[in-house]
Amino acid sequence: MRFLLNTGRTIAQGSFVERKNSPSYRMAAATICMNPVDMLEILVEEGEHVRVSSDAGVVVMKVIPDQGLPRGRVFVSLGPYANHIVSAETHGTGMPDFKLTPVSIEPTKDPVMPVGSLMGLCGGLPYED
Amino acid sequence: MAGLHIKNAFVIDPLSGVKGEIMDISIRDGKIVEDAPPGAEIIDAAGCLTLPGGIDSHSHVCGTKVNFGRYMSPEDMRAGRTARKGVMHVTSGYSVPTTFGNSYRYSTMGYTTILEGAMAPLEARHTHEEFTATPHQDMLANTLFDGNWSIMEAVKEKDDKRAAAVVAWTLSAVKGFAIKLTNPGGTEAWGWGEDMSSIHDQVPNFGVTPAEIISTMIRANELLHLPHSVHLHCNNLGVPGNYRTTLETIDLVPDLNKDRQSLYLTHAQFHSYGGTTWRDICSKSEEIARAVNNKPQVVMDMGQILFGRTTTMTADGPMEFKLYMLHHNKWSNHDVELETGSGIIPVYYGRKSLVNCVMWSIGLELALLTKNPWQCLLSTDSPNGAPFVKYPEIIALLMSRKFRDSERKMIDPRTEHLVPLFALDREMDWYEIAVMTRAAQAKALGITRIGKGQLSPGAEADVAIYPLRPDEIDPSADYQQVMAGFSRTLFTIKRGRVVARDGVVVVEGANSTIWTKANVPPAYDMGADPEFTRKFEQYYTVRMSNYPVQDVYLPRGVRIETEASL
Amino acid sequence: MKIEDVVCSFCGCLCDDLVVEVDGKKVVNVENGCTLANEKFMGDHRLETPIRRTGNGWEKISYEEAIAETAAILLDADRPLLYGWSGTFGEAQSVGVHLAEILGAVIDNTSTVCHGPSILAIQEVGHPGCTLGQVRNRADVVVYWGANPIDAHPRHMSRYTTYCDGFFLKDAFKDRKVIVVDVRETESSNVADEFVRVNPGGDYAVLSALRAIVRGKRDIIPPNVEGVSREQLFRVADICIAAKFGAIFFGLGLTMSPGKNKNIRNAIELTQELSRHTKFTISPMRGHWNVYGSNEVFTWITGYPYAVDFARGIAFYNPGETTSVDILRRGECDACLVVASDPGAHFPRACAEHLARIPTVQIDPHVNVTTHLARIQIPVGVAGIDAEGTAYRMDGVPLRTRRLYKGDYPDDQEVLRKIYEIVREAKG
Repeated sequence: MRFLLNTGRTIAQGSFVERKNSPSYRMAAATICMNPVDMLEILVEEGEHVRVSSDAGVVVMKVIPDQGLPRGRVFVSLGPYANHIVSAETHGTGMPDFKLTPVSIEPTKDPVMPVGSLMGLCGGLPYED
Repeated sequence: MAGLHIKNAFVIDPLSGVKGEIMDISIRDGKIVEDAPPGAEIIDAAGCLTLPGGIDSHSHVCGTKVNFGRYMSPEDMRAGRTARKGVMHVTSGYSVPTTFGNSYRYSTMGYTTILEGAMAPLEARHTHEEFTATPHQDMLANTLFDGNWSIMEAVKEKDDKRAAAVVAWTLSAVKGFAIKLTNPGGTEAWGWGEDMSSIHDQVPNFGVTPAEIISTMIRANELLHLPHSVHLHCNNLGVPGNYRTTLETIDLVPDLNKDRQSLYLTHAQFHSYGGTTWRDICSKSEEIARAVNNKPQVVMDMGQILFGRTTTMTADGPMEFKLYMLHHNKWSNHDVELETGSGIIPVYYGRKSLVNCVMWSIGLELALLTKNPWQCLLSTDSPNGAPFVKYPEIIALLMSRKFRDSERKMIDPRTEHLVPLFALDREMDWYEIAVMTRAAQAKALGITRIGKGQLSPGAEADVAIYPLRPDEIDPSADYQQVMAGFSRTLFTIKRGRVVARDGVVVVEGANSTIWTKANVPPAYDMGADPEFTRKFEQYYTVRMSNYPVQDVYLPRGVRIETEASL
Repeated sequence: MKIEDVVCSFCGCLCDDLVVEVDGKKVVNVENGCTLANEKFMGDHRLETPIRRTGNGWEKISYEEAIAETAAILLDADRPLLYGWSGTFGEAQSVGVHLAEILGAVIDNTSTVCHGPSILAIQEVGHPGCTLGQVRNRADVVVYWGANPIDAHPRHMSRYTTYCDGFFLKDAFKDRKVIVVDVRETESSNVADEFVRVNPGGDYAVLSALRAIVRGKRDIIPPNVEGVSREQLFRVADICIAAKFGAIFFGLGLTMSPGKNKNIRNAIELTQELSRHTKFTISPMRGHWNVYGSNEVFTWITGYPYAVDFARGIAFYNPGETTSVDILRRGECDACLVVASDPGAHFPRACAEHLARIPTVQIDPHVNVTTHLARIQIPVGVAGIDAEGTAYRMDGVPLRTRRLYKGDYPDDQEVLRKIYEIVREAKG
């Protein structure tokens, strides 16, 4: 099913910015908020994992319901998980389309990767502190 | 520190009574001395014009609004770019150059001291940060009190001493130099989108008038014995017919100080308009100059405009909004809680605009009609009338009637019916120019006491040597040469060290910031005043302990202390 | 030891009324702070020493070695990018700009992915704003547009707007109307008097409609504009026009959405339009602590607030070309120095991939997402905790953050100065 992905600050993300290797940060940054009716539609329950794909990439996140979101829209805290699927195109403004990325979402059993491993996919080497 | 010996200099040093003599100047340890130490470097001035370092007593170079002028104007930044070279950093900007741009350009014109015209106390730390990045001039900051709540409350209570105490605390806290009033009362009214239209209007919610604020502050200033007088940007700037407000303001001024003026009227050109609208604007320079000629306790600066592009910036927020309504170009505004405001818009002064031609004439007229050059200083209110790099053009216009006549042919032909300029024969001489660009500034600012603006032994060794031989040049005819000569010194010497040579800055520079501390009796220490402290904590958004500018921001602070009569 | 009036170094609010208790080299308690401040001050997760990536592992190295190698990487690069700066103090930023100048590098700050578009708009039409105290003491109408202060700037409402009494508003919560415009419900929209829900990407049209209404052209407004009813638009416009002092605060909901800088331009022009009727101001909600300071420092030294390219000797500025995301996306830079920010977390994946390809050095107190992409990381003191210097609040008010205790780390300025000295020596 197709959705519009929005990203932004959340208090949880802000709270763990200085502990980005921690499970709490991963939880804050890799959680996707979705309208509960949409969750029914794609057959996922709170806490289950989804595969989110855009033209720019694919990433696995954990889903939670959010009544405040209209149907067809999803929200993820800004961070490496959301950015894994945001295009780097800026249309000459310097600013990517962080607030409006078309994505498709489907249930998956795949795990949510730790931050370091996600960066490993980008060519980095995880540093464990 | 090694010495310096300048020989064969054509010296004009008005404060020492030297009116143009070939003589030698000796320097040791940053000061002028009788004899240079052995082994001193020798500079042969070869008869060239040698003056004390230039002093700008009103310019906008550092701080919140200046930097916002840069921030919002990439087109202006592009209009003046130089690459890193030798000790010189990259510079950008034409009308609002970067700090290093300001510093290098002033330095190559022989300027060694600059007063920033408007610093909001709450944002003082910013001004001081930029002062440090303006390394070739000693800096001073006019501190804004025009919409200060505690001041207006003291004015309402007719308590001059409390007003003085608030000034003393604030100047000391923010390391400011002098009292600046910009459209007094008007900046507070602008907090509600309103303005003052006369000096007798009531400021909304505060029950005081601009006239009362000005009068109280003049008296408070003298109670504190501050080096400079109140520095006033009158109400109604730029409004046709505003000369009446200016005359009324001049009428308020008592003569309270034997060493200097009691009121400094800044950018007088913008306050000398007759007429009722932009359609019938005319020059009232004769009225203003007559008033100043009759009041030795008033000193003004010209606020000359020059044709071309520039950026206007002032604490006078409501005035900038009026300009925006006129120009419909970009407009920025920045009100500062409990204190003041500010605004910025870019402008173009055109020779084809009759209004601009009248403005251009008025500034020159004020200088030419003021009998005593110590009472009318050269300025453009940089960058409001024009960027300071155009000062040499003003000098040439004042020295040459021929130049003025050639300009007359270039401007709107209707101008001459609205202004007296072209009937004025006066051509200023080198001495008068020296007065109007350094000596009178030093006197007006009250900084002769720290050795500024003069070349007598004991003075600060700030010297400018221009490639101009007064014996050989007729400024009336050779005005182009005069302009070129004042644009670029042969040598600029700051505190005894050659800092610029033939237009190139040759050392990294280390300036001082000059500030004022008036010592008050404990009963007048606002830092311990319960009412002042309570209001501070209640209405400011910063804590009182975080407000004062720490010493670390003034790596070479020069404190002028006074003992207040409270 | 209890220290009063401590300046917080998390977000652009720079709250300066924290009371922090310090025991030796550790913060043990924070009063008055929000959740974010508490996490920031109580946080105890520093990287201990400089680290370097080896073939497939990491090793600890000395500061000397890390600094020398960083300088060598920068000197070896043809087109280095110096990115970040918002989490450090002005004096360090200033060294950074001079380092970029001498290297002929591109220097950019985090505005590039937050309020860069706001800067572009301001460069077109200006910015009628004010300090936060003006809003606190006077504003009877406050608009949050595309901003969620309760999550991003948790004390903004209690210090400056909704819940904060002022000189002319003795009972702010009652006397002050709060309007929130957003594409989704948030904690902030829940406390608004008026919540305007806009379709994603619809802000520009809604702003245009409001401008038309303020100009007296109600008859041209269609029944629904991007999800907002005509009635609500009229109501919002009327509230604004009737305000004695109105203040708009806007966030990344405007800068990052389709339209970007044009959204901001429209919002500023709405403010200018309203200024013809009453007092109105507009202010960006600057997020990352001293990001505004980085704009200020860049500007007084180079003339431009961000995205400054020194490759030609002069300062060259062309956002869209000289902005970090574009440079990384094009694979243009061949080395990157990251200071006090986390592009690994906050840039699109393609940028992270390029950071991993080139030698990237990070100067930062903590392990973050960029750490995994870097060759070297150099830990430093945290500004406002064990390092001190100047920071600019979102409204331009500069404050001095204090060092609460003498820690074991050098600060950003010290490390950058050492790199600068090596580079200057080499460049002659």
